[in-house]
Amino acid sequence: MTSTDRPAQNRHSRRTEILEARPVQLDGFVEEWPEVGMIAMESPYDPEPSIRVEDGVIVEMDGRERSDFDFLDQFIADHAIDVSAAEEAMALDAQEIAARVVDPRVPRQDILHLTRGLTPAKLLDVVESMNVVEIMMAMQKMRARRTPANQAHSTSARDNPVQVAADAAEAALRGFAELETTLGIVRYAPLVAIALQVGGQTGRGGVITQCALEEATELELGMRGITAYAETISVYGTESVFVDGDDTPWSKAFLASAYASRGIKMRFTSGTGSEVQMGNAEGRSMLYLEIRCIQVAKGAGVQGLQNGSISCIGVPGAVPSGIRAVAAENLVASMLDLECASGNDQSFSHSPMRRTARTMPQLLPGTDFVVSGFSGVPNADNMFAGSNWDPEDYDDWNTIQRDLKVDGGLRHVAEKEVLAVRGKAIRALQAVFAGLDLPPITDEEVDAGIYAHGSEELPERDVLEDLKAAKGVMDRGITGLDLVAALEKGGFRDVAENLLGVLRQRVSGDLLQTSAILDGDFSVRSAINDANDYAGPGTGYRPSGERWEEMKRLRHVLSASNPEQEVE
Amino acid sequence: MTQTGDRHLDPAVDYPLSSRRPDLLHTPTGKHIEDLTLDAVVAGDLSPLDLRIAPDTLLMQAEIADGAGRWQLAENFRRAAEMTEIPDERVLAMYNALRPNASTGQELADLADELEREYSAERTAALVREAADVYERRDLLAAADD
Repeated sequence: MTSTDRPAQNRHSRRTEILEARPVQLDGFVEEWPEVGMIAMESPYDPEPSIRVEDGVIVEMDGRERSDFDFLDQFIADHAIDVSAAEEAMALDAQEIAARVVDPRVPRQDILHLTRGLTPAKLLDVVESMNVVEIMMAMQKMRARRTPANQAHSTSARDNPVQVAADAAEAALRGFAELETTLGIVRYAPLVAIALQVGGQTGRGGVITQCALEEATELELGMRGITAYAETISVYGTESVFVDGDDTPWSKAFLASAYASRGIKMRFTSGTGSEVQMGNAEGRSMLYLEIRCIQVAKGAGVQGLQNGSISCIGVPGAVPSGIRAVAAENLVASMLDLECASGNDQSFSHSPMRRTARTMPQLLPGTDFVVSGFSGVPNADNMFAGSNWDPEDYDDWNTIQRDLKVDGGLRHVAEKEVLAVRGKAIRALQAVFAGLDLPPITDEEVDAGIYAHGSEELPERDVLEDLKAAKGVMDRGITGLDLVAALEKGGFRDVAENLLGVLRQRVSGDLLQTSAILDGDFSVRSAINDANDYAGPGTGYRPSGERWEEMKRLRHVLSASNPEQEVE
Repeated sequence: MTQTGDRHLDPAVDYPLSSRRPDLLHTPTGKHIEDLTLDAVVAGDLSPLDLRIAPDTLLMQAEIADGAGRWQLAENFRRAAEMTEIPDERVLAMYNALRPNASTGQELADLADELEREYSAERTAALVREAADVYERRDLLAAADD
């Protein structure tokens, strides 16, 4: 046979082979299937916006009569939407609202007067009329806090408290405002949460910490002052999935008040794709359901939300316009005046280019927490199943900040400072463990922990003894105050002062206000005293002064006066 | 529960309370926020109760949230003010009772009564009654013979 006779099925071009070998081919992509909700946005099955108010009560919303409301509809209608603003806001064309949201000259406050009266379907129409650049323009103005910030994960595949303390200290030193941990073995939680707190306060006083656990346990650690805030309070966009999560909007609203009653900052968590992943999207688009979640958070009176698909990012990431939908859900949270911790926190792609592109809609305009969180530990140690950003990316992140002059919350730190703070954090934890009669941390562990990248480089701990001690921490009623006393007694007076400073904040309640973080000098920065004032070119937050000088530093920068030398 | 009159707090002037109005900040045990020092911890003069927020402070933060146009957040803080008096274990139990299919209608009604009677927690009780009503309509109550 000649070559023209034979179909060339088995033969590929060299270029195809090269393309087939690219990391992006390992990612999963699927066609849209709107009937089951496997569609990011712009679904033909999402409801048309509508509202009817009688005697101050919403009796019809998005085409559904009040008697047919599921519990999310009812909660949103009765708690999230400002009835006095609704009819006027709903009468405006969605595209006109979108234009105002994007327009830098329309003040943020004016937008909030409109958005408080919009139904889920209307909010959906508004963001569906925006392209991704418009979404970023809008986010730049609508983000609640003027100054962006960032959050890190500090976890360990072996739940090793030594590793968690060292990496938490390094992350705090590098600029993260919040640190989050979680566990492989849940019973380890008290020791790991203590390590996170001690490490964090060693790295930079005022960083706030959380331990992601089942709702009731997470609250208990917070009540004891071992953690400083909470985030993994999940809400879902359909009633059946919400019930599968063993909660309702009312139980979550109760929980929100329970946290506030102890002076503890908290935010809810939700994200596109969770409902279809959990098997009941009721034929709605991912973004429509997520907007319902955002409004549940608003109605519950919680100050903020972690969203941006979060642990379900593979789902919107697999369908067309999915990453645009994720940017849109962050924007809707900000349009409803909630603090937004904007995701980028779960690995979703093998392609470094996709990983980077996926973060631009949050990094470029800035969000309250651009990544939530950025892994402060190698992928194998990340107990949140891996982040979109790893410690190997620290210098890339710092370089991107410097290239584009955008503030992603981090800074370059010289190695000697990193090593010093890691060592101090582990020794502080060693003192706390000794003071509280917990299994000792050896000097060998201190030394290994200073120089380690991951848990495998640390001596293994006696897990059974640690677990026994962890139970003891709970049984003995150890609180944050005991940690303060043990730190002081162990000679770490400055770390003790830092931790007490964080605990004292709960007496003032200042951290309960929207988008609140603590500066290095323990001054609170929130959407009240650091409100976003972006109003076009030359306004709003722009890196300047000391912060910009700090952002210019990288690991290797040549001196202008002596090109043979690198600047410190 | 302590109820304060409107203090006319101005978000732009009085927030953060910890730096702008420390004069207003006390713990539920009656200590002033500036008494919460490391020396007091070392001397054993502070208990975990001294690091709790006072209901009055939550009402002040509610006023600030209202002043910033955040009425739902303010309402949350007002419920929280009511809940400061409820012991930790009881708060956790109440939360668990509000989960779907966890309580009968009667149990939720009793919970709301307890909130009012024991803690003067009217707003929180209203939230529980509203939940009971929705749970009944959406079939999310536990069966009475459970």
